[in-house]
Amino acid sequence: MRPAFPVRLGAAEESLIAQLKAVGADQVAERVTVAGLPTRRVEAYHYTDLKTLLRTIPPLAQPANEATGTGLRIPGAFALSIVNGVVQNAATAPEGVIVGKTHGGVLTNRDDLLVNVNGVLTKDALSVTLEGQVQQVIQIDHRIEGEAAHVVDATKIFVADGASVVILETFSGSEAAHVGNHATYIALGKDTNVTHVTVDLSARATSHFSTNEYHLADGAQLRTLVVHAGANLARTHLFPKMSGAGAHANVTGLNLVSDGQHADITMETTHAVPHTSSQPLFKSITRGRSKSVVQGKLIVARDAQKTDAKFMHQGLMLSDDAEILSKPELEIYADDVVCGHGSTCGKLDEDSLFYLLSRGIPKAEAETMLVRGFIAELIDPIEDEALNEALQGIVDTWLLGK
Amino acid sequence: MTTPVLEIRNLHARIEDREILKGVNLVIPQGEVHAIMGRNGSGKSTLSYVLAGKEDYEITEGEILLNGESILEMEPAERAAAGIFLAFQYPIEIPGVATMTFLKAAINAQRKARGEGELSTPDFMRAVKEAGAQLNVDSAMLKRPLNVGFSGGEKKRAEIMQMALLKPALAVLDETDSGLDIDALQVVSKGVNALRDGKRSMLVITHYQRLLNHIVPDVVHVFSDGRIVESGDKDLALQLEAKGYADYDGQAA
Repeated sequence: MRPAFPVRLGAAEESLIAQLKAVGADQVAERVTVAGLPTRRVEAYHYTDLKTLLRTIPPLAQPANEATGTGLRIPGAFALSIVNGVVQNAATAPEGVIVGKTHGGVLTNRDDLLVNVNGVLTKDALSVTLEGQVQQVIQIDHRIEGEAAHVVDATKIFVADGASVVILETFSGSEAAHVGNHATYIALGKDTNVTHVTVDLSARATSHFSTNEYHLADGAQLRTLVVHAGANLARTHLFPKMSGAGAHANVTGLNLVSDGQHADITMETTHAVPHTSSQPLFKSITRGRSKSVVQGKLIVARDAQKTDAKFMHQGLMLSDDAEILSKPELEIYADDVVCGHGSTCGKLDEDSLFYLLSRGIPKAEAETMLVRGFIAELIDPIEDEALNEALQGIVDTWLLGK
Repeated sequence: MTTPVLEIRNLHARIEDREILKGVNLVIPQGEVHAIMGRNGSGKSTLSYVLAGKEDYEITEGEILLNGESILEMEPAERAAAGIFLAFQYPIEIPGVATMTFLKAAINAQRKARGEGELSTPDFMRAVKEAGAQLNVDSAMLKRPLNVGFSGGEKKRAEIMQMALLKPALAVLDETDSGLDIDALQVVSKGVNALRDGKRSMLVITHYQRLLNHIVPDVVHVFSDGRIVESGDKDLALQLEAKGYADYDGQAA
C-alpha cells in the first residue's frame, strides 16, 4: 500500500536506504523510501514508534579484532560468539552439537521491516544442530564492539527429534549508540524439550532489536524467557508457531526498565493445528520515567480445534512516572478452543510489605524479596542451576542500580 | 520496681479523619500475659497495628515505651528487632517468597540489628525443625511459598512458629483464635504457653473468652470505644462472656 503522500525521511532512514542499496537490496530500500521506519500507525509498532525513537542508524559494523569478554558467564556452558555480526571460530563442540554456517537470512519473510532488513543484510548466519540430551547450556554470545555500529546477525538452530537442550543468547557490547538487529530461528523436532533464554545486557546507548521465530513439531515442549535489562531501547519480537499436535510453549518475558528506558516484547503465537497449547506470561517492572510495552497476539487457525492458550501480562510499578502498556489480541478462526488474556498492573502490595517489615526485615530487603517473588514464576522454571543463578543475579543487579 | 516491658500512656491514634484510639493506658510488666477483650470495631486490632508500626495510623497524642524506650519514631523493622512481634489476625500470603527464605531473612535481620552474627545454616535448620515439630508445621508446609495455600489453622500455627523462632520480648496476638477449630486452638495455645517463660510478655487480643481458657491471662482488660474501660483478673473474662459488653457502652460514650 502506497500512502498518498511520501513520508519525510529522517537521517536514520537515509542511512538505512544507503546500506540496503549498497548490497543490492533495492526492494527493501524502496520499502523504506516509501513508508519510512514503522510508526505508531503500524499496529505491531503502536507503542514503539521507531521513526520517533530511532533517530540515527550508524554505519554497518566492521569485523572487530577483539571481544572484551562475555557480558554473562555461565559456568559449564558451551559458548559460541558472534562479534559485530561475524561468527567466531568455536572450541570443539560437545557431543550432540554440530556448529556451522549458513549463508543469508534465517527468518521466514513477513511484513516487518526489521525482519526484511535482517534478511538482506545478514551475510553468514550461525547454524547449530542439536541432538540427544545436550547436558551443557549452549550460549550464543552476541557482542557489538568499537565505535557505534549497525550490526545484523542471524542464527538458525535445528533441534533433532527427541532432543533436549537449554539455549542462552546474550547481547552486550561497548558503550556506543549501536543498533543491533538480531534474528534467531529455532526448529523444534518431534518430542523435543527446549529452553531458550535471551538476555539483553547491551550498553545503555544501544538500540537492541531481536526477532525470534519458533516452529514446534508434534509433542515439542518449548520454554522461552526474554529478559530486557540493558539497552535504552529494546524490542524482542516473538513468533512461535505450533505446527504439531501436542506442542506446547511457555512463552515468557521480563522487561526491567529504569529511568529513560523503553522495552518492548511483542509476541504473535500461531496455533496452526489441532491440540496445541501455549501459555504466554510476561512481566514488567518499571521505575523512574520509563516505558514497558507488552503486546501478545494469539492466532488460532480454522482447524486448530482444542487449542488452549492464555496470554497474561503483569506489571509492577516502582515509580509514579513510569508507563506500562499492555495489548492482548485474539484472532480465532476455530470454534472449539479455550483462549484468554489478562493484564494487571500495580505497586508493591503494602500489606505484604508491612508483614515482612513486622518481622524485622529492613525495607529495602523486604522490597527486594517482594520483587523477586513477583518474578519467581519466570525464573524458577529455569532448571539449570548456574543459569538460574545468573538470571537471579541480573535481577538483583538491576534492583541495586538506578 | 523494674521497668515494664510495655507501657502505653494516653495513646491517641487516627486513620485519616477518624480517631480510633482515644487515650489508651496500659502497663505490662515483664513475664505477664494481658488480655484485651472488646467487641468488633472497638479499636483492638488498631492497637496491635499501632504497636507494630503500621504507617496508615497517625499518633496524635501519647507515648509507647518498650522496656522504657519510646518506639514511636521507630520503623516497623526496628520495632521487631527491639522485641515486638505481632501475630496477625490474617497472616498475609506472599507468592514467590519461599517460607524458609523468609524465616532466615527475618531471623538474620533481627540478629544483625542487635549486633549479633548470622545464624549458620545448620543452626537455622535445627531451630526451624524444633519450632516446627512443636506446632505441627511439617517440611511440606515449609517448602511452600509464605502462607500460600495454608489453611486458617496452618497460618496461625506458622505465626506462632515464627514467634518461637524470633523470641520477642513482647508478643501481640491479634485474634489468634479466629478461624481455628478446637484441635487447632489447642495446638496454637500449647505453642503460645510454651513461650511463657516468666520473662516474655504477651498481649492477647480476642473477643471470645474461649481462647483465655487455654492461654490463661494474668490480667484482663475491657476495651471499648478506643480505650481500656475496666481491668481485672481472669474472672473478668468469664463475666464478660456471660453479660456481654453492653454494660460498658455507657462509660465509653
